[in-house]
Amino acid sequence: MPDTSSKAGVNPDGTIDRARAKRMLNPFDRYALQKALEIKRDSGAEVTCVAMGPPPAVEVLIEAFEHGADYGILLTDKRLAASDTLATAYALHKVVHYLGDFDVILTGLQTTDGDTAQVGPQIAERLNIPQITYCEHLSISDRILNGQRIVEGGNQEIEVHLPVLITVANSATPLDYKRFADVAAVKEFLRHPEERDKRIRTVSLDTIGANPNRTGLLGSPTVVGKTWKIGDVGGSCIVFKGESIEREVDELMERLRTDGRGVEELINA
Amino acid sequence: MPNPHNVAVVAEQFHGSLQQITSELIGAARFLSEKLGTGVSCFLLGHEITQLAERLVHQGADEVIVIDAPQLKEYATLTYRRAVIGILEHLGTPPQIVLMGSTTIGRDLAPRIAAYLETGLTADCTEFDIGDYEHKGKADPSKTGNFKNILYAIRPSFGESLKARILGPWKNPQMATARIGVVQALPLDTSRKGKIYNISVNFKQEDLRIKVLKTVRDVSVSVNLTEAKVIVSGGYGLGEPEGFEVVRDLASVFKNSVVGASRRAVDSNWIGYAHQVGQTGKTVRPDIYIALGISGAIQHRVGMANSKLIIAVNKDADAPILKFAHYGIVGDLYQVAPLLKKALIKMAKQKY
Ligand SMILES: Cc1cc2nc3c(=O)[nH]c(=O)nc-3n(C[C@H](O)[C@H](O)[C@H](O)COP(=O)(O)OP(=O)(O)OC[C@H]3O[C@@H](n4cnc5c(N)ncnc54)[C@H](O)[C@@H]3O)c2cc1C
Repeated sequence: MPDTSSKAGVNPDGTIDRARAKRMLNPFDRYALQKALEIKRDSGAEVTCVAMGPPPAVEVLIEAFEHGADYGILLTDKRLAASDTLATAYALHKVVHYLGDFDVILTGLQTTDGDTAQVGPQIAERLNIPQITYCEHLSISDRILNGQRIVEGGNQEIEVHLPVLITVANSATPLDYKRFADVAAVKEFLRHPEERDKRIRTVSLDTIGANPNRTGLLGSPTVVGKTWKIGDVGGSCIVFKGESIEREVDELMERLRTDGRGVEELINA
Repeated sequence: MPNPHNVAVVAEQFHGSLQQITSELIGAARFLSEKLGTGVSCFLLGHEITQLAERLVHQGADEVIVIDAPQLKEYATLTYRRAVIGILEHLGTPPQIVLMGSTTIGRDLAPRIAAYLETGLTADCTEFDIGDYEHKGKADPSKTGNFKNILYAIRPSFGESLKARILGPWKNPQMATARIGVVQALPLDTSRKGKIYNISVNFKQEDLRIKVLKTVRDVSVSVNLTEAKVIVSGGYGLGEPEGFEVVRDLASVFKNSVVGASRRAVDSNWIGYAHQVGQTGKTVRPDIYIALGISGAIQHRVGMANSKLIIAVNKDADAPILKFAHYGIVGDLYQVAPLLKKALIKMAKQKY
């Protein structure tokens, strides 16, 4: 899910303003991209990235290209606004149909704004394919994928035939997808319109044959009612950082002595 | 015939033992069903698990619908999906509300069922209620309406800083998953009586596409994380298993304290799973939570964000935990922890 608050990034002539554009690849999706690039390295597969969002979201695809993705497709349509997970999954599964053949679909676990790991399984349901959620490790040979997924208190080893949808755990591997990067090559093809159009396709609901009544507000079975702030959770951390650890600990103790939380009551005297 | 108007709960069991989340979901379902004037139905899936049905009744269910089949011995997405769909088809009318756990099973299964039924699903709820909702529908006039007695699924969002009430009044079932350890289970009542229905389902070839080779699960008796007043937790930043000595040492300063851990520390076999705090561990809310060398990933955060006082020690000033803790110290935990211990003891001595 791209950061839709950013309007910067695309010049009036449609080119990309690298200086103004904001990096937008969702941190959870980076793990999915890394796994996809590892599969590409091991098997020679092609990696196509799908993004959904307003036109500036093309920046997400460029970022993915820089890290080694081969093709990008941007689904952009005003009628997608306010889609909940079910409507989003509907639209994305239509993109997959439009693309045709695939072996593995990788998604991140969730978005940063509180989405909930639902879109992946819902795409899998609509495509009628198996899934492995919370997947930390995977290997593919002879069109069989072995994956290890997280469960409470341990993990589970699973075997499936391709095609399959995987949601990649953010604890999967240390994130070092930058090692696949080839920024210069991306710069080069972006300069050539025909080349660029071969790599990046922008599609609308009509292009992919999606029913607009099943996306956006109309296609969303849920709505956000009331929202309210919760207590002092978040954003209020007092961080002690200084020239010496002793100082920091002293400052913390001073706080604890005076903040009325009664920490001293809980210490073994 | 089972009653399709009951609030439904998908029970969770692992190798024949019911999971904690199930009694909590039943507690939530009872609360909702009393407001609606209906009852609670539990769906129980597995192999050789029929004997658990009675316990679900003792936990507060009025009816239990059981599918006992060898294909359900281990949880796998597609067989369990078929079983839940089978029960819903058997009921004929979809229940108004279906609740599942926000576990690695519930979060795997619920979205598929919701997509199959084309209905709404709210994940990771911390509260439920029943109430009314008027949809004005300026942009979607066809959905306009005044809805009575619908499910309020309440969940945190935007990095836990907001709570939102999510509604799905247009279609039943209204589905939701609940976090572990946030809704109250009812006291066990062994005199409760309920109805138990055994039904069967035909698995198709396509339901057997997922093969579970092995499930490794540490189900050791838990340390008393949920009742401790103080938890001192260690993470991957400890660097080695011996690091937990430092964690234990700091914990020893406090009355009624225990040692907690991040999943990464547990996965590294530095400490047992019983100590794990977070989404796939325990949800805790002690008076003091001290995190040593823990980055503060969302899955850890959901398990401890409601602690009354959070103190984090991390050598990386940009670590996420230093955004949502109350106090943070930037530094090497091996230097900070002993100093902190000394200072805390001194503070207590001065007091008396
Ligand atoms: C489905 C799923 C469920 C999960 N469930 C849980 C769960 O229940 N609980 C859980 O905790 N995680 C869970 N995780 C994993 C979670 O995403 C993180 O991977 C995990 O919490 C990271 O653990 P950590 O903070 O110990 O390690 P890291 O993220 O590696 O952080 C280590 C931290 O230590 C700091 N550090 C290093 N050395 C020092 C030093 N000498 N002094 C001070 N600081 C130092 C570093 O700066 C870093 O911030 C789950 C993940 C998934 C996908």
